[in-house]
Amino acid sequence: MSATELKGSRRNLLRSLGQTAAVALAMPASFAKAAQTETVNDQSANGLRDAETYFGPHQPGIVTEQQAFGIVMACDCLADNRAGLERLFKILTERSTALMKGGPAPEVDGRFPQPDSGIMGQTIHPDRLTITISVGSSLFDERYGLGPLMPVKLKPMERFPNDALNAAMCHGDVLVQFCANRQETVLHAMRDIIKNTPDLLTPRWKMEGFITPKAQRAREEATPRNLLGFKDGTSNPSAKDGSLMSQLIWTKGGESNEPSWTSGGSYQVVRLVRNFVERWDRTSLNDQERFIGRHKYSGAPLGKTHEMDEPDYANAPETTVMPKDAHIRLANPRTPSALSTRVLRRGFNYSNRLSKSGQLDMGLLFICYQADLDEGFRAIQKRLDGEPLEEYIKPFGGGYFFALPGVKDEAGYLGQDLLA
Amino acid sequence: MTFQQIKTMVLAGVALPIFSMDVAFAAAPVPTEITITDKGCEPSNVKIASGPVAFKIINKSSRALEWEVLSGVNLMFERENILPGFTQDIKAKLDPGTYQMTCGLRTNVTGTLVAEGEVEAKPVAVQDFVGPLAEYKVYVLSEINELVDKTTKFTTAVKAGKLEEAQALYAKTRVHYERVEPVAELFGDLDPAIDARADDFEKKEQDPTFTGFHRIEFGLFTEKKTEGMDAVADKLMADVNELQARVKALVIPPDKMLDGAAVLIEEVSNSKISGEEDRYSGTDLYDFQANIDGAMKIVELVRPLLKVHKPDLLEKTDANFAKVDELLKKYRVGDDDFKKYSELTDADRTALKGTITTLAEDLSSLKGALGFE
Repeated sequence: MSATELKGSRRNLLRSLGQTAAVALAMPASFAKAAQTETVNDQSANGLRDAETYFGPHQPGIVTEQQAFGIVMACDCLADNRAGLERLFKILTERSTALMKGGPAPEVDGRFPQPDSGIMGQTIHPDRLTITISVGSSLFDERYGLGPLMPVKLKPMERFPNDALNAAMCHGDVLVQFCANRQETVLHAMRDIIKNTPDLLTPRWKMEGFITPKAQRAREEATPRNLLGFKDGTSNPSAKDGSLMSQLIWTKGGESNEPSWTSGGSYQVVRLVRNFVERWDRTSLNDQERFIGRHKYSGAPLGKTHEMDEPDYANAPETTVMPKDAHIRLANPRTPSALSTRVLRRGFNYSNRLSKSGQLDMGLLFICYQADLDEGFRAIQKRLDGEPLEEYIKPFGGGYFFALPGVKDEAGYLGQDLLA
Repeated sequence: MTFQQIKTMVLAGVALPIFSMDVAFAAAPVPTEITITDKGCEPSNVKIASGPVAFKIINKSSRALEWEVLSGVNLMFERENILPGFTQDIKAKLDPGTYQMTCGLRTNVTGTLVAEGEVEAKPVAVQDFVGPLAEYKVYVLSEINELVDKTTKFTTAVKAGKLEEAQALYAKTRVHYERVEPVAELFGDLDPAIDARADDFEKKEQDPTFTGFHRIEFGLFTEKKTEGMDAVADKLMADVNELQARVKALVIPPDKMLDGAAVLIEEVSNSKISGEEDRYSGTDLYDFQANIDGAMKIVELVRPLLKVHKPDLLEKTDANFAKVDELLKKYRVGDDDFKKYSELTDADRTALKGTITTLAEDLSSLKGALGFE
């Protein structure tokens, strides 16, 4: 059992007993001591001290259980050469490990600006922060001579027929994804990275999102809802299933012409998708359910009773209960090939300002991972092109990236095999 | 109910109640007891709720009798041969109104039966849409024919390098498209080719795949030139011709027609109200009015149905259309022209926004109000 799990079970105990005395007894001595020195609002019970592991074959923030807040920040890389790039990846590795682990905020002489923004106070708690670094196809242009090493399926995100792409919200050399359970934690980490890489990265666009973490959702609402009010992610493959993830998510270097350094990495797709929510809210429930292919409240596929029921396409191909152009049917027709090329979705909802017409700008910060971009997202999106739901959604930004393989241990750094 | 089912039923001449009648019979009414003696009914004045009704007729007279409910000379329902000392149950359905009950001997005074309640509308039947749909098809086709004629003149002017003539024709050509836009949108390839805005393209105005009216608008009003637009003009003409051919062959389902009214208003509230649609020419108010025209036409076609089934919705919608009309009037120049969008005051834009949003909210229930699943 990992330290995180230990703390998790302790939290549950706290909830169920509601008695600090009993908790103190049940806790290991070191934790009990910490609890004694803090106030009644013991933040150790809020998961602030929970930390995710950084080192391993894969980066954190991909199969990590999803946190409540996420930011993706796409950057242009300013490094002059390969050595600069190496310096960038080393800084990103060092800052990511430090921030994810937490500790006292660094301080310097008060005559100088402080290295830390201070927005988390004097103690920086890990708060399950993950920082995930991905690279876009533009990083493989002539600047660093990395062309021959580009993941073979990586390319700039193309325009799909319903897209209205805003160039200022698309692509990027490097994508930094921050996830944590509190908004301050992700903002703190983002400011730290920006402050530490002024000559190496310049932010190009960013998008913030939120989702209620699983522990805080009602039992019947275990699957989070998107801002169309539908459960989103019911048929997502389980990120806890290691062999399934190996099959679906992790790229295998040396296979299918992929350069060997890509092993353990993953193609990452980010799509910024506005939902026309006013208009959606003015659409009958029956129409909404026909567009999506699920019952709104239960989440069950149309014609079924329970959320986890499998939709029945094979035996009722002409059914009017589940339209042929329903979103879930097009996205995952449940054919053997569609099932073997599923993607892992790990997106957030977003809510920004108002449009020029005074309508709400909110929707989906779609993020997904797959071993093969063409067989994953691109194939799915091609099936979705022209779906009736398009009347209500408008993708306007994002990009295709490749999440670097993980850093194996403290001696290593991000992208080491790429730059070797 | 799918369109295919509706079509089959229309062809078969089946009267199809779209409203389910189950609800009306779901709650069994408590039977009203009426005792008939040799002198008449007790009570002889009965008030009940209209809709499904039930009676328990007790014959306490000395002879067999029949009990009838009449509306003037029309027999509504009856029960014959109720023997002395026997009781009979009767279930029926009554519209609101005053009826007469026979009470034994013909010489006995007839009783009065008053059924109180709202007139229950006859369910909307598919046949009810045959007329409006045929008329809508004529409307759509005549707008598309106008669009073809004017696009011909417009693109000819563009290609002949007649800048001012082309500028003058721009807005008045587009209105025919904007009035029937929901129909054009049924063709997922043509609508973007004809009417996409630069926002849809990553390289905006400079994007080589940006075609149609707004690409030409950019040339005419921002670049102020016609050079280099021959290919775009030719493509627009070809796309509009293709649209005409496809619309001629199109069967418009009734629910799509009804959706169209809401779709047009959503168009206004999403992009016309902000002046984004015709940003180079400032002719947004022409499109604005055309969208409203198209939505009003649909409401007009189903007005008789709405009058019966959803009079309050109709009344509110009429009032809001009148409000929009009143506000837009201020910006009219003569019968066919509008001032530039930039002249729209903030106060009027805000007022329009509220009215348009209310219209969008109300028209979004049009389809449901007329019985579509």
